[in-house]
Amino acid sequence: MALTSVVLVVAAAGYNWAQNQLDLSFHAFQDKRGVTVLSPDADFSKDFSDRTNLKVKFGVDSISAASNSCARCHPDGANNGRVVGSASVTRKYGDSKVTVGGEFSKEMFYTATTGLASISRDLNNANTTVAAGFAFSLNQPVLHPSRQTESQRSMDTYVSLTQSWTKGTVTQFGYELNQINGYQTNPFLRTSVNSVLTTGNSPDARTRHAVSARLRQALPAETFLEVDYRRYHDNWSLNSSTLALGLSHHFGDTIVAGGTYRYYTQTGTYFYKPSYTGSPTYFTGDFRLFPFDAGSVTGHIELTPKGPFLNMPAGSSLTLEYERYRSTTGFVAGIFTGGIRIPLK
Amino acid sequence: MPRVGRVIFALAVVAGLASAGCATVKPWQRGLLADSCMVFDSSAETSYMTHWQEAREGSMGGFGVQGGGCGCK
Repeated sequence: MALTSVVLVVAAAGYNWAQNQLDLSFHAFQDKRGVTVLSPDADFSKDFSDRTNLKVKFGVDSISAASNSCARCHPDGANNGRVVGSASVTRKYGDSKVTVGGEFSKEMFYTATTGLASISRDLNNANTTVAAGFAFSLNQPVLHPSRQTESQRSMDTYVSLTQSWTKGTVTQFGYELNQINGYQTNPFLRTSVNSVLTTGNSPDARTRHAVSARLRQALPAETFLEVDYRRYHDNWSLNSSTLALGLSHHFGDTIVAGGTYRYYTQTGTYFYKPSYTGSPTYFTGDFRLFPFDAGSVTGHIELTPKGPFLNMPAGSSLTLEYERYRSTTGFVAGIFTGGIRIPLK
Repeated sequence: MPRVGRVIFALAVVAGLASAGCATVKPWQRGLLADSCMVFDSSAETSYMTHWQEAREGSMGGFGVQGGGCGCK
């Protein structure tokens, strides 16, 4: 069970107002351990007036085959499922937009409930957008196989500044502060303490900072450059850097294709060790808290035929994407995504 | 946050604010900026990739897209 906090904050680009549309996506994840996750989801966006928009999302994760942690007790495999739904309403007030919403997800041994609010404002003839968001989450893991339930509270604040520099250059700078209090130990991942495999024990408070810088640059010949950088630090002494470089190209009016390379590196937390002796206060077997590097390559193609296709109205599009992820821990995964976007009246 | 990160972030914000008034992209010049390749969006594909990366990695956030609590690893 991952005790990842729920974070649900505003996407702060702020340049395009919502449209009436339905997005249907199917995601398939498989890693070298044999874990498969199939995730269909649907996003619906509807303008109720020229100032008010509603977004509703519903998704399912169907998780099959045993992970390393599940396999100790379920050698023949263990399945899991996750259902997630969210809704948000955005209303325009002049050059400002205000969004309120929430998300709820439920799976075996884990429940997460989130509320959010955000605001953005266009300045300087819409060449500058400032945005801020706040989210509060209550996460409730069950310490399977017991029925004991723990709780975890997460507060997340995000601010960003988006700036158009020229008719082909736009940047965005962001800062996110996240505070998590409560139970944060992974109850299913064990480590060696005095040669005995033991469930870890992590601190009950974690403060996380992330700063980001992003660039979108139009290049000659209908080509676009994407650069994303993130620097992360928390008070568990975990530091990370993420750099993603991508290129996309328009092939005529109907096809957009491209690729992205992403590099990620992180240190371990201050209490991480491969194994422990004595009576350590904190210890962990959670792979997310180990030091490692990772790289991934993604390719994508989007087709938007000029007329109706596959019994869908004109303006519909089909997206296919594949990502290959590999880390220095030996973890390898492939992720396929297929999506259809249907404009609605 | 490390000192270098704070300095970079502060410089970026100051530079952005200071130069905001200098940008003169007119509404009729925004065709490229409206292209889907130029938008910092949170599409379904991006959200899913972010979601599962955060399930594998120790860090999170920074790009203003949504993640979520997640399942058995």
